[in-house]
Amino acid sequence: MAHTIRARLSGAIVTLFIASVAVFVILRMLPADPARLILGPLASAAALQHERAVLGLNQPLYVQYVDYVVGFVHGNWGFDYGTGAPVLKEVVTRLPASLELGFYAMLFAVIGALAGAVASVGARSRVVDSVCRAVAFVGLGSPPFWIGLMALVLFAEYLHVLPGPVGRLGVGVSAPPATTHFYTWDALIAGQWGTFANAMEHILLPALTLGLAPFGYLFRLLRHSLREVSDEDFLLVCQGKGLTRWQALMRHGVPNALLPALTALGLLVAQLVAGSVLVEAVFNWPGVGQLVVNSVLAREYGVVEAFVILSALAFIAVNLIVDSLYVVIDPRLRRPSVI
Amino acid sequence: MFASGHREATVGLGVILVTVAFAWLGPQIWRADPLAVNLANSLLPPSAARPFGTDDVGRDVLARVMSAGQLDLIAAAAVTAVGGLLGMSVGLLAGLRGGLTDNASMRLIDSLLAFPPLILALAISVALGAGTVSAALGITISTVPFYARLMRSEVLRVQALPFVEAAVASGCQPSRIVWRHILPHTWQVMTIQASSVVGYAVLTLAALGFVGLGVQVPTPEWGTMITAGLSYVLSGQWWIGVFPGAMLLILVIGCNLVADGLGGEAVGSVLTGSTRNLPE
Repeated sequence: MAHTIRARLSGAIVTLFIASVAVFVILRMLPADPARLILGPLASAAALQHERAVLGLNQPLYVQYVDYVVGFVHGNWGFDYGTGAPVLKEVVTRLPASLELGFYAMLFAVIGALAGAVASVGARSRVVDSVCRAVAFVGLGSPPFWIGLMALVLFAEYLHVLPGPVGRLGVGVSAPPATTHFYTWDALIAGQWGTFANAMEHILLPALTLGLAPFGYLFRLLRHSLREVSDEDFLLVCQGKGLTRWQALMRHGVPNALLPALTALGLLVAQLVAGSVLVEAVFNWPGVGQLVVNSVLAREYGVVEAFVILSALAFIAVNLIVDSLYVVIDPRLRRPSVI
Repeated sequence: MFASGHREATVGLGVILVTVAFAWLGPQIWRADPLAVNLANSLLPPSAARPFGTDDVGRDVLARVMSAGQLDLIAAAAVTAVGGLLGMSVGLLAGLRGGLTDNASMRLIDSLLAFPPLILALAISVALGAGTVSAALGITISTVPFYARLMRSEVLRVQALPFVEAAVASGCQPSRIVWRHILPHTWQVMTIQASSVVGYAVLTLAALGFVGLGVQVPTPEWGTMITAGLSYVLSGQWWIGVFPGAMLLILVIGCNLVADGLGGEAVGSVLTGSTRNLPE
């Protein structure tokens, strides 16, 4: 088991190295002239030369690469030209908002997909099956920012049941004392029920919007694997021993059907990261995704670069954890790999 | 199961053909200029004279949705074809050669897979500068890994089948074995992958347009049109963003139906979110 995990870990490190070279080449080498980008079209030749020296662009490539990796590890991610704040600080202050949104999106997606799959396969409900499949098709077939727009038109503009795109809290509501930096949790800890309701109200639409694509993905996956499992002989054996069909499915079918879903976790994280860029800006959610959109529009490459590296890091880490968990959960994978 | 799958694929193909007809035949019937600005007619709601209404500078939304459809469909087709050609070549070489070629190319492909696809496309188009071509290039590169990995595993699978051995034994040229015996057996899976890539390409082009990369104003594109519509949601002019998004949804659902109907759910496609096999 340890052998397999070690193999996965070394594989992840190699991937991380090549990925960092890829980011370096794409974002440092491809732009025609970073000095020109920073100083603008009117800069003099001398100023450009000076800027290149400051950026280290006259150094050999491998020196530039090492400088860039060392700088990144030390948290030296450059400055946001708009606010003048260090990129690291900007990202760290915005991260809790994104994480809270991602948490609820994932929660809705997992609960919805599991309930939908069990109802459509286990309880053989045609209605639930059709509705969930339709929602999955819409979730996987449309850009999240369009879903957000439709949700706002319906719930905020016509039905007036949920607030419009105003961020994490309503006007005049102050943030609860910071413990976890998740407003909903902090409000609960501080016992501020009004603030909790307000925060939930504001996070509901963006989280549902962000969770729609992961829901579609998970529902299709769970439905498929639950169908396969429900045909297996061992469920028949369980029923022969005296369990009802329902008990056999819930106790022995669902855990087996969950296994393939674990593999998909990395992909779900990728969907959430990409989705946060597309959803946060719509709801004026003060997270990292909104920062990225603003930075691309303002040509702030430092922020974009940090975001690209961080999302690759997160993606690799999640896949590594999932691969290792798989070995822990599935005994068949514990023997040392032949390759 | 098989019959219903074929029906699904046929419906999907029909949906795609309808959007193609909408984009190219539509403008022959609805002869409004998608770029003509008319401030006197700005923000008109849908009516018989203007079925999809007008936008903030009085351009006809129906004409723009049609014209955007042409651009999106062409871009998606180009991305699917070029990405497919690149990815399948890499996968074929890796699968046939094995050894160092296989290891090196798959490491490279894995490092591309280390980025969420949209983020990779975003990074490349940021580096190349905003524009339709650089966005399409970014999306193309982000699709290469999907084709390459699938092609490699297909080549490995087919290579091990007895009829390939028989072809070798009967003295076939290696190139003939590849073209006549191995490649034809990969087409079905590759078609499934390609049809889901079409949907992915349209969605990602729209997403890059939303971020401000990709297609630039005033050229109509579904993603940038939705983005423009966002500013008018709360003032009640919903039609600017809703119609282009609806067309996009219809097209992508068509592509996903084709992928599903051809057996995508069984084969497992990363892009449509179908079931994947257990990791090896």
